[in-house]
Amino acid sequence: MKAHLWALGAAALIAVCAAGAAAGSTAREGKAAAHASKTVTINVYVSGDVNVEDLYTKSLIPGFEKSHPGDKVKLIFSEHGVNDTTTLDRIGAAVKARKWPGIDLVDGGLANTLAIDGLATPMTTAKIPNLAKVQPSLLTPVKGAALPYRGSSVVLAYDSTKVANPPKTLDALIQWIKSNPGKFTYNSPNTGGSGQSFVETVLAKYVSAKDQTAMVNGYVPNLESDWTQGFNLLKSLNSDIYQGVYPNGNQAVLDLLANGQIEMAPVWSDQSLTALEQKQLPSTIHLEQISNPSFTGGGAYVAVPKTAKNKTVVYAFENYMLQPAVQAVVVNAMSGYPAIAIKYLNKSVQSKFSSVSPNTLRPVYSTKMLTDMNAEWQKDVP
Amino acid sequence: MVLPPVGVVAAFIGFPVVAAIAYTLGKTGGPNSMVASLAQHQHVAKHGVTLAAYREMLGDHQVLGDLWATVWVTVVAVLIVLAMSWTIALYLRLRGGKIAALLSGLSVVPLFIPVVIASYALVTFYSVDGFVRTVAYNLGYHSFPTVGYTLTAVVIGEVWVNVPFGVLMLSSGLNGVPDSLIEASRDAGASLSRTVRSVLFPLNVIPTVIVATFTAIYVLGSFTVPYLVGPSAPNLLGVSMSNYFSSFNQPQQSEVLAVIVFVLAAGIGAVYVWANVRASRRAGQVA
Repeated sequence: MKAHLWALGAAALIAVCAAGAAAGSTAREGKAAAHASKTVTINVYVSGDVNVEDLYTKSLIPGFEKSHPGDKVKLIFSEHGVNDTTTLDRIGAAVKARKWPGIDLVDGGLANTLAIDGLATPMTTAKIPNLAKVQPSLLTPVKGAALPYRGSSVVLAYDSTKVANPPKTLDALIQWIKSNPGKFTYNSPNTGGSGQSFVETVLAKYVSAKDQTAMVNGYVPNLESDWTQGFNLLKSLNSDIYQGVYPNGNQAVLDLLANGQIEMAPVWSDQSLTALEQKQLPSTIHLEQISNPSFTGGGAYVAVPKTAKNKTVVYAFENYMLQPAVQAVVVNAMSGYPAIAIKYLNKSVQSKFSSVSPNTLRPVYSTKMLTDMNAEWQKDVP
Repeated sequence: MVLPPVGVVAAFIGFPVVAAIAYTLGKTGGPNSMVASLAQHQHVAKHGVTLAAYREMLGDHQVLGDLWATVWVTVVAVLIVLAMSWTIALYLRLRGGKIAALLSGLSVVPLFIPVVIASYALVTFYSVDGFVRTVAYNLGYHSFPTVGYTLTAVVIGEVWVNVPFGVLMLSSGLNGVPDSLIEASRDAGASLSRTVRSVLFPLNVIPTVIVATFTAIYVLGSFTVPYLVGPSAPNLLGVSMSNYFSSFNQPQQSEVLAVIVFVLAAGIGAVYVWANVRASRRAGQVA
C-alpha cells in the first residue's frame, strides 16, 4: 500500500514540475516581450544533413549574434527531415488557429511546402532589402513566399584512378552502370536528395519538355503515367547496383565512395566539395556534370510561418544571410552556390564558379510531385 | 480508484486512436482536418465511411509483400527467442555453476546496448567485407552469403533485442518451481526430457506465453532494426508506415498500415489474455 502511495506521489510531483516548466517558459516569453529592448530569441527549425547543421552552428548563428547584440537564435535541428511531416502539421495547425507555432524560421524541404500552401509570409524587399540581389527565377518555385539563401546541384562523383573516361551523358552513364555491375549505387529517393535527383533525371529523359515544365511548376498527378518508361529502366538496373540494396541518406553513399566499395555515384556538389576539403573523401574522387539531361539543382529556402514572433528580428536574420560577405561564407563553408547574383560577390569567390554557372541549374519537380515520385519508386523499383 | 488512469488513457491514447481510425475510413473533418489539408492521395468519404483506403493498401503487391515479411519475421524471431531462452534458462536451473551464470549474464548484455548501435554493429559484422565473410574467406569459403541488408539480418537483430527479456522471464519462472518437484519426478524414474515436458513446462506456460506475445508485438511494430539492417524491399511494416507518413506524404495510407498492425497485435494480445484467464480459472481465482 505504501509503495502505491509513493508511486502516486512521485507521479503527481513529476506532473506538477512539468506543468510548472511549461508555465514558466510562457511566463518567460511574456517577460521577454515586455522587455523588448533586452534579449530577443528567435527559433529556427533546420532540417537537412549534418553539413547544413554545421553551417548554422559554426557560421550563421555566431556571426548574426555578434553583429546584432541582444538578438539570439535558437536552433532546432532535424536530421534527414525525420520530423518534417509532424512539424509541418504543427505549424499548419498553429497558423490556422492564429497561434504561435514555436518556430519563427524554417529551413528545409518543408519551407517550400509552407510557401506553396500559403502558410508562410510573403517576402518583399521592404522587409528584406537584400532580396533585390536574388535572381528572380529562384523565387518562382515558391511563389515568392520563401527566401533562397544558397543553391546546390547534384553532380556525378567518380574514382579517377579506376574510371579513366567518365560518362558525359545520361545514356553513357546507364551504359557504364550496366557494363560495370556492382560499382554504382544511389540512395533511395525518400532518404536523400542526390538519389532523388538521379531518379528524377532518369524519369525526365522520357518526359516531354511541356510535361516536364508542368511537373516543375505545379502538381499534375495525371501526368505521372509519363514516368513508366523511366521506372522500368531503373528497375532493370537493380541487379547492377552495389549489394543490391539502396543506402539510406546522402552520407551513406559518400561513405561507400570514400571506402572504395563503389566507383561512381550521384552526390550533392556542396556536400562532396566539403568532404573533399576535409579529406573525408580521397582527392582521387572527381566531380563532373552530365548532360542530356543534367542532374537537377536549385535553391535551398527558408520560410517564415505567418504567425511567427519577433518578425523584425527574423527579417534581420534573413537579410543577414543574403549579405555578400555572408554569402561568401556560405560558399566557402558549404561549397554551395550563392543565392544572390554572382556580380555582388568579390572576385576570388566569383572565380570558383567560372566553369559552373549556378544560374543554369536544372530545376527539380514541385514538392508534391517529388513525394509521389518517392512513392512510385518504392513500389516499382526495389 | 481506477477512474483517473482510465481517464488519462482515454484522453491521450483512446481519443487519438479513434480519430485515426476515423481518418482511415475517410472522415477528414474535425481533429483530422489539419492532416487532411496537407495529405496527398487520400480517400475521402462522401457520406458515411469508405473502405477505399483499405482496398488500396491490401491490393498493393508491395504492401502485401511487406505484410508477409512482417508476419514470417515475427514468427521466426519468436520461435528462435523461445528456443534460446528456454535452453539458457533450463541450463541455469538444472545445471547451475559458473558457466551457466556466465551464459545468463551474457544473454542479458543486449539490454544495456542501445538498439541503434547494435544494429550498426550487426550490419558491419555481416557486411560484404565484414568479420563473418572475412573469416569464411580465409577458411577457403569464398562465396559465403552476405547477410547484411537482408531479412535474415532483421531476424538476427530482433532475436538479439528480445532474448534478454525471454531469459529473465523464463529463468524467474523456472526458479519458482521447487527442487522437490524435480527430484520427485526423477525419483519416479522420469528422464530429464520427460521431467522438462511434464513438470517444468506445464508450470511455466504463463511465462512462455508472456515472452512469446511480448516478443511478437515488439517485432510486429519494430522500426529501428529493420530500417538500419533490412533490405530496400520488402521490409517490415514499421518502415513502410514511416515511409508512407513522412516521405510519400500519404498519412491516411500510413494509418491504414497502423490499423493492420494493431489488429494483428490485438489478436496476439487476446492469446495472452486467454492464457492468463485459463490459468486463473485453474487456480480457482476466476469463476
